[in-house]
Amino acid sequence: MIGWVQQLGRHGCDLLEALGRASIFLGLSAVGVPSREGWHLWLRQMHFVGVLSLAIVLVSGLFIGMVLALQGYTILVDFGAEQALGQMVALSLLRELAPVVGALLFAGRAGSALTAEIGLMKATEQLTSMEMIGIDPLRRVVAPRLWAGFVSLPLLTVGFSVVGIWGGYLVGVEWLGVFDGSYWGNMQSSVDFIADIGNGMVKSLVFALVVTWIAVFQGYDLIPTAEGISRATTRTVVYSSLAVLGLDFVLTALMFGELG
Amino acid sequence: MNDSPFVVVEGLHFSHGETDIFRGVDLSIPRGKITAIMGPSGTGKTTLLKLIGGQLVPDAGRILIDGQNVHELSRRALFRLRRRMGMLFQSGALFSDLDVYENVAFPLRVHTDLPDAMVRDVVLMKLQAVGLRGARHLMPSELSGGMARRVALARAMALDPELILYDEPFVGQDPISMGVLVQLIKRINEALGLTAVVVSHDIKETLSIADYVYVIADGQVMAHGTPENLDVDLDARVRQFVHGEPDGPVPFHYPAVDFFTDILSAGASR
Amino acid sequence: MKRSKMMELGVGLFMLAGIVGLIFLGLRVSGLNLPGTGGGETFQLKANFANVGSLKPRARVTLAGVNVGRVVAIELDTEWYDAQVTLELDAELEGQLPRDTTASILTSGLLGEQYIGLSVGGDPDTLGDGDTIRDTQSALVLEELIQQFVSNMVSE
Repeated sequence: MIGWVQQLGRHGCDLLEALGRASIFLGLSAVGVPSREGWHLWLRQMHFVGVLSLAIVLVSGLFIGMVLALQGYTILVDFGAEQALGQMVALSLLRELAPVVGALLFAGRAGSALTAEIGLMKATEQLTSMEMIGIDPLRRVVAPRLWAGFVSLPLLTVGFSVVGIWGGYLVGVEWLGVFDGSYWGNMQSSVDFIADIGNGMVKSLVFALVVTWIAVFQGYDLIPTAEGISRATTRTVVYSSLAVLGLDFVLTALMFGELG
Repeated sequence: MNDSPFVVVEGLHFSHGETDIFRGVDLSIPRGKITAIMGPSGTGKTTLLKLIGGQLVPDAGRILIDGQNVHELSRRALFRLRRRMGMLFQSGALFSDLDVYENVAFPLRVHTDLPDAMVRDVVLMKLQAVGLRGARHLMPSELSGGMARRVALARAMALDPELILYDEPFVGQDPISMGVLVQLIKRINEALGLTAVVVSHDIKETLSIADYVYVIADGQVMAHGTPENLDVDLDARVRQFVHGEPDGPVPFHYPAVDFFTDILSAGASR
Repeated sequence: MKRSKMMELGVGLFMLAGIVGLIFLGLRVSGLNLPGTGGGETFQLKANFANVGSLKPRARVTLAGVNVGRVVAIELDTEWYDAQVTLELDAELEGQLPRDTTASILTSGLLGEQYIGLSVGGDPDTLGDGDTIRDTQSALVLEELIQQFVSNMVSE
């Protein structure tokens, strides 16, 4: 019994220590001084993290929008409320699905790649040699990736929503025959720019920070062996997914909890 | 140029987890000379270089580089000091996203405001020195191990450092590239008059270029001296290492219970 | 260098697409009116209801089935203990609605959301900014309907 408690205590201490390390890490990397060189590095990461994730995010968004419309229609039509389809599709996408699914896809596509890349740089002593040249790898390697992730994911989320709403339109209006005007009209009367789109974007920014932070930290902190890299990559995806889903509940409770 | 040693290590203690790696090491590395640090694998030679570079912090003792205590410097001052050092890593550690030219140009770009034309001159000069001017457009993945190490050497020299640390420069090289590297290290040292620390367990090659030799085993300095009068027979461990005897004070067998007891304990777990 | 230019272009397009997407969401999805595009001009009317049912802020206001504004606020009027609803209507209707215009809370579909429907009367005087609509019709509350229906059944 005492052993068990002691073990719990040790895990707690380990966890706190890791959190502390990760926070210092975040603080040191986020304050990279912007320079022409830094701008270029950031741009390269934007391409890698953002542009190359666009395809998977947009395609997923389209399918999710289409499925939402299809499912929503079959339920709403029983109540004669199929004209609320646009509202349903838009609200579920903007408030929940785009930020959350976007972040999960982002963790799988970009987060794991970031972890593996930084981990491999660590394993091949590139980070150490950078330090010996007198360059802080936190600024040179980590900071551009962190900022690129932070900017990319909200943009990807917007793309997800737009494509999803369009997908809902394709299925709902073009295929199932919901009236065009009520699809958009209901949507416009129920979606609020600040409360729905704004809060969705806030969620997305939080997720972007968390997912990218986890990814680069796992890469930087891993044990530089083949097994270490594969474990860290898995951890990135698992931790980010859990963090995104958990935070989503907290944020939703804070944002929409009192909306009745 | 003054005669005081460039690097001084005093009473160095360092442990990794439970195992002690250094138990009171004293070294003094003279200016403008090649100092070799030798010892069997696992004696923490690479760790010593990382301690000198300020990447690890000792448990006790201090390391002075040109009079500055490495581990009392602020992060900023440490990075400034590192610009005066070059380090050649075992794997080369070239940046995999940059080609050969950009790898060598990297320290120049981040530490100087030289115009592009001048960066080009310096890079080509350094690449010429290691004989790889023609390979400047290749990516690190296209280089052989020996070439990668030569590019890394060119990069380590880019800022004309006062001190170069070589981590196992001869490991895993075929005789030709080994000869090339030995020549390079010797020539660079003579031409530029810089201080070099070579960590290695390749005895013949190292002794052929070193001005002074330290032998480290069991976390302590076992012997030191110039290659000519290094008294290898004073200590059994040093003798075993230098002559490459398979068994001796450094045992062939990893510690275990007696072989017969072990093999006769049938039915036991493996 | 050519690859780097392509990359910069790609990132530029990506960011541009993100911003255009956000504008699309703002205009087309949330029906936001950009300030200065004319459609943003509004005026306010008040209306007191005995019961607003499940009417919510941002519900639409229609006239003859056409969207003409939205509900801005719903507050309790402590003087009469009824609900005071503030409506925001398109400016082109200012001074056009007769004073005896009726506001009723209607439901779209059987279980759909509630909205306010306006129907005009014949009074020559018109409503201006800040005026109150006197003639209102409260929301239909399903329970009350059922109660009525049941008591009718019993009395038969």
